[in-house]
Amino acid sequence: MAESRRGFLRLIGKGSVFLAFLVQIVAAARAFVPNVLYEPSRRFKVRKPKDYPQGVTFNDEHRLFVVRQENDFHVVSAVCTHLGCTVQWKPDRDEFDCPCHGSRFHRDGTVIAGPAPRPLAWYPVALSPDGYLEIDTAETVARGFRFTPPPGQA
Amino acid sequence: MRGGGRLRALWRTSTWTWAPESEREAGEAIVRNLWLHWFPNKVTVRSASWGYSLWLGTAAASLFLILLVTGMLLMFFYVPSVEQAYWSMKDIRFAVSFGWLLRNQHRWAAHLMVGTTFLHMARVFVTGAYRGPRSLNWLVGIALLLLTLLLSFTGYLLPWDQLAYWAVTVGTNIAREAPVVGETLRFLLLGGSTIGQATLLRFYVLHVFVLPAAVLVLFAYHMWRVRKDGGLAAIEPLRRARAQAAGPPAPTKSYSLFGVTRGATIQTLVSTDLEEEDVAFSSPELVRRVVLVFLLVFNVTLLLSVLFNAPLEEAANPALTPNPAKAPWYFLWLQELVASTTVRIGGFSVSGGFVGGILVPGVLLLLAAAWPFLDQSPRGTEGVWLPRERRRQNLVFGLVALAMIALIIVSLYFRGPSWGFYWPWQPWPQEPTRL
Repeated sequence: MAESRRGFLRLIGKGSVFLAFLVQIVAAARAFVPNVLYEPSRRFKVRKPKDYPQGVTFNDEHRLFVVRQENDFHVVSAVCTHLGCTVQWKPDRDEFDCPCHGSRFHRDGTVIAGPAPRPLAWYPVALSPDGYLEIDTAETVARGFRFTPPPGQA
Repeated sequence: MRGGGRLRALWRTSTWTWAPESEREAGEAIVRNLWLHWFPNKVTVRSASWGYSLWLGTAAASLFLILLVTGMLLMFFYVPSVEQAYWSMKDIRFAVSFGWLLRNQHRWAAHLMVGTTFLHMARVFVTGAYRGPRSLNWLVGIALLLLTLLLSFTGYLLPWDQLAYWAVTVGTNIAREAPVVGETLRFLLLGGSTIGQATLLRFYVLHVFVLPAAVLVLFAYHMWRVRKDGGLAAIEPLRRARAQAAGPPAPTKSYSLFGVTRGATIQTLVSTDLEEEDVAFSSPELVRRVVLVFLLVFNVTLLLSVLFNAPLEEAANPALTPNPAKAPWYFLWLQELVASTTVRIGGFSVSGGFVGGILVPGVLLLLAAAWPFLDQSPRGTEGVWLPRERRRQNLVFGLVALAMIALIIVSLYFRGPSWGFYWPWQPWPQEPTRL
């Protein structure tokens, strides 16, 4: 009994010392998971509805397209679903082209050709209280989503 | 002892003679020198010949040394901050005296190191030098090749120009395609959800400390293993010839009782059982060649650096992807793969980023790592270039290498805007280079 008690205490002693190494490793690794991200907000205001021309307008700050058809608005992401390059609007062909690996998308974001596995994302858009279009890229909406500002705002 | 005598003794301890006058002097040059004692006292003439190993490993190590020195110098001028990185690159190129040269040397040495490391691997493969006791060192070599590629990748972001930004965008999005851990891996690599200051700093520390330190440790182990495994496989044909001539080996003295009971003595491990005419003293034969290889590599790098500038495009712009956006040549075969391997079955699709970016290179890597253990071909051809008995294996290796080279050539010379196919003489349509 005395032997096993000694063995047990020894195990506790050595174990706790080695545990300190484990704690060290966990602490060091955990430090690399950021707790605060100093990134721009994913919900932001863009221009007023009436400042958008008909058709597709690229927003370079947020990498998305604001599309206006008559008084209907919707927002399509400009980030290729393949590997994240910024797609370009080709008005002559009425499609989005990705420069990196040649993916092509219809006006509504669905894939025409190329390696892109998914259609371009659509983001919800609404009107802020002070009359600007407000986009939330933290969420997506189904294709076919339309936002129509109240009369007089567009 | 007087002061002069002490100084002379110190000089003798820390240097060596290029022209040893006795075996003892030749041996002491190796044994009593910190930098040389990792070489064996004697080396087989075949191992040290130019034609067997082509000295590719030494060339890769020389390039790494150039990279360490030029990289350390560049650290004095480079600022790893999103606001300043690109402008410090401009300073290095245009304002710092010979800054352009240091950067060009760093870049050319990096490109050459990727190529040399791969060629070294190819040489080890076609001579069957990865077999038997050397299979562990083959794995260490694969790890070193991976570290070399990771060093290139992390270094690629640092200039913070368009090339850097988009290569890393694509690269980290490929990491995201890894099953289960992909999303987390990318988040940790970037230190956030977008490429920003945290990403630059992480890549910087990985590039200037973590990865080079890992290379140094593994390189030391790689060299140590070469000796523990009995030297280069080049000596195996000599040993086989000698074993045939001598018949069953005479019992040899052992330093280890366990060595005798297990049938391995220190002699068989370090193979001193070779004829006098087969071996030469490492000092000066081996040392002189190492220095020659280093000088050759250094001069090639210097020449390339004087003739060709490392590119520096416009400052990174997340809104505008250059068209076309091409990865560095050693990753281009992957880019060609990710661009063409998206699989669609009905409404379900698997991204080319996964197939070409994770699956294909992952399988190739696993295959390369497992090869020494899968290899069933008869032993006894180690240390011979392209032996008939291993024709099929060498053919497989050659075909894979050829496919990679073909993909690289296609994407380098035949891909234009939007990754379209263009003949080299065909003009590209005008693409916007700014918004």
